[in-house]
Amino acid sequence: MKVTRRDLLVWSAGAAAGLLATPVPWKVLDDVSIWSQNWPWIPQPTRGPVEVKQSFCTLCPKACGLRVRMAAGWAVGVAGSSTHPISRGALCPLAFAAHQLNWHPLRLRSVRHGASRSTWAEAQAAFAKASKEGPLVVIDGYPGRAASSVLESFAEKQGGSYRVFAPAELRALAPYQRWTGIPAASLGYDLENANMVISFGAPLLDGWGTPGRFTRLWAERAAGMRDPQLRLIQIDSSLSRTAARAWQWVEIREGSESALASGLAGALHEQNLVPAHIPVPSMTLAESAAQTGMSVERIRELARLVVAKPPALVIARDDDPPVAALNVLLGSLGKRGGILRHSERVKAYVAAGREIGNARAVLIDASVPWGFVTQGDAEVFRFGAWDGGATKADWLLPAPGFLEELTDLPTAPGCSAPTYGVAPALMKATAEVQSVAQFLCSLDGTLPTTAKIIDSRCEELFRRREGSVYTQEIASMAKFSSVQSFKEQLWKGAVWAGEPALGQQFNCSLTEWPISTRAVSAESWSTDWSAPVMPPLASKLYQESGLRESSPRRNA
Amino acid sequence: MSKWRNSFVFALGATVALLVGWVVFPRVLYSHKHQPLDFLHKTHAEKSGLADCGECHSIRADGTFAGLPAVEQCAACHSERVGESKAEAILVDSYIKPGHDTPWLVYARQPANVWFSHAIHVKRANLSCTECHSSYGESDMARVYEVNRISGYSRDIWGHSMSRLRRAPHEGMKMSDCEKCHQQRNVEVGCMGCHQ
Repeated sequence: MKVTRRDLLVWSAGAAAGLLATPVPWKVLDDVSIWSQNWPWIPQPTRGPVEVKQSFCTLCPKACGLRVRMAAGWAVGVAGSSTHPISRGALCPLAFAAHQLNWHPLRLRSVRHGASRSTWAEAQAAFAKASKEGPLVVIDGYPGRAASSVLESFAEKQGGSYRVFAPAELRALAPYQRWTGIPAASLGYDLENANMVISFGAPLLDGWGTPGRFTRLWAERAAGMRDPQLRLIQIDSSLSRTAARAWQWVEIREGSESALASGLAGALHEQNLVPAHIPVPSMTLAESAAQTGMSVERIRELARLVVAKPPALVIARDDDPPVAALNVLLGSLGKRGGILRHSERVKAYVAAGREIGNARAVLIDASVPWGFVTQGDAEVFRFGAWDGGATKADWLLPAPGFLEELTDLPTAPGCSAPTYGVAPALMKATAEVQSVAQFLCSLDGTLPTTAKIIDSRCEELFRRREGSVYTQEIASMAKFSSVQSFKEQLWKGAVWAGEPALGQQFNCSLTEWPISTRAVSAESWSTDWSAPVMPPLASKLYQESGLRESSPRRNA
Repeated sequence: MSKWRNSFVFALGATVALLVGWVVFPRVLYSHKHQPLDFLHKTHAEKSGLADCGECHSIRADGTFAGLPAVEQCAACHSERVGESKAEAILVDSYIKPGHDTPWLVYARQPANVWFSHAIHVKRANLSCTECHSSYGESDMARVYEVNRISGYSRDIWGHSMSRLRRAPHEGMKMSDCEKCHQQRNVEVGCMGCHQ
């Protein structure tokens, strides 16, 4: 029997039909899809002993507690630590994906001078030369750390200036520094004891402050209650996520927060709801109503609501003196449920602006948000773990990534109780990196190292014998017999927390009602918060949670 | 005649494909590997009184799963040869005395992007070991480790049945199997529950 071309075609058709009834196509499809996830250039965690370590997120000054799952010495998973007294197990989407950041394609892996590659030696030589030729400005985005002390000392020795790019939570406290002389960084909101919170656009339920702090308070004392223990009045120009869940949303025209604060102050005075000796704003209720788009009666009603359930606490989105002055008016400074001073050891900082005067060199720490750019002709030395895109820096210097360096964590901005933690380097750096402190110490051998400063801070805390240490359980400082055992606990991820200073008198020199000094835009808050790059997991969480949109650049 | 001939040729092609797909393909797809030594669960359970899986595969105090016992744990009984078998000689001479961990091939190993907690499944959900691992703890031989040549995963992840039809409850450890079990037990876990 002769095999024809037709036979072959029919046979092939039969074979194809038969193949569909076998597992071959489906199994191969499944296996190939798995194979494509395991290409050799995709970083894979090494197989090895798995352990869970307590540490802290070092990506921003909020310093949330973490449980880091380590496999063979590498972080493979991050979760919130419920033993942390402030964050209480909550994390932002970026922190959940922080272990992926060290492997991000936009990780800075070599020194760059302009568009070309350079070396650490060349960068050091250029910086030493520039800082000798003229004034130096050092900019820090995470003040209070041991590394910050190194930066400050170096700037002081060089006759330069140390400036701080403060987060919005800290900037909102700046007016009190001007009126009381108490550094803004040492002030915090006693949210835990407030019964009424009036937020002027601050996204309290959308990433403001330490993640989990206000959201958990809100969940415990307000969510689902008709008459909540904690009343949140959100003053916002749009129905934001916070406004949507607040006890009351007060809709005003965009940018009219200061006008409403002045109007509220007038209404409080008019109805004798506050002491008479506090300065009265010159703005009338009618003017305030015209600017905010509210009626005069609604402002009066809001004033009555504000004082209905003391203690009341007013929170501004940014540096907004009329809004801040409401706390003075309500007597919330230094009072339970108001604004408290958590430490007397914190120094006042000079705020960093884009103007840097006649500086010859500018050194920017990796903690400063990538979007911060200085103006002028100074030679800019920018540290960063990731390349966030266009920058005016002359030198890009690779800094340690997530948990790749030893650092300490002072009290988070906006917290009313002092805290202190230590995050040791849990992983080897995946690139040839240096922190700013290491860079400066290599230039000036007389500067103390970060490790030495952390040691001395631990010793000082131990000597004071105040506060408690939060691990799986809460231990008072009296339980520690030696500074060594205290340090060991801190190195293992424990948090030291002190008590907020209640009843402290604030000598407030507010003699006249302040006027708004700057326009507070809705944009300014979110740009402070964003990271230079976004790992895939964080992008997914952002998109799924709808928290905040990320730019296409950050999804890379 | 031509019609019957075409049907015959078509059926022949289909039959060959079916044979290749169901008989040849599984043999080609999986390569066979042998454990470094022939470990006998049954002997350990019967002769050594290690009746509970948790005695060797324990859950630590912090909730993490110890997995396979380290060589130090084996050395507690096998610091010297306790028998004449070939496996005993390999264990003592190649691993215990030099202090090297035995490179066991783990049948149920999940990929790196999966976080699975034995503690939650055993302690909170009260699942017995056999619900996922069958009665392997009673076996009297170390079975062959079959590894998928394309994906590199153990065959236990897909399950022994190529069609994944009429599988035993313990067969298969793919994501759909996890989801099915969770659905049956009305336990909701989001993406982050396993892919942390």
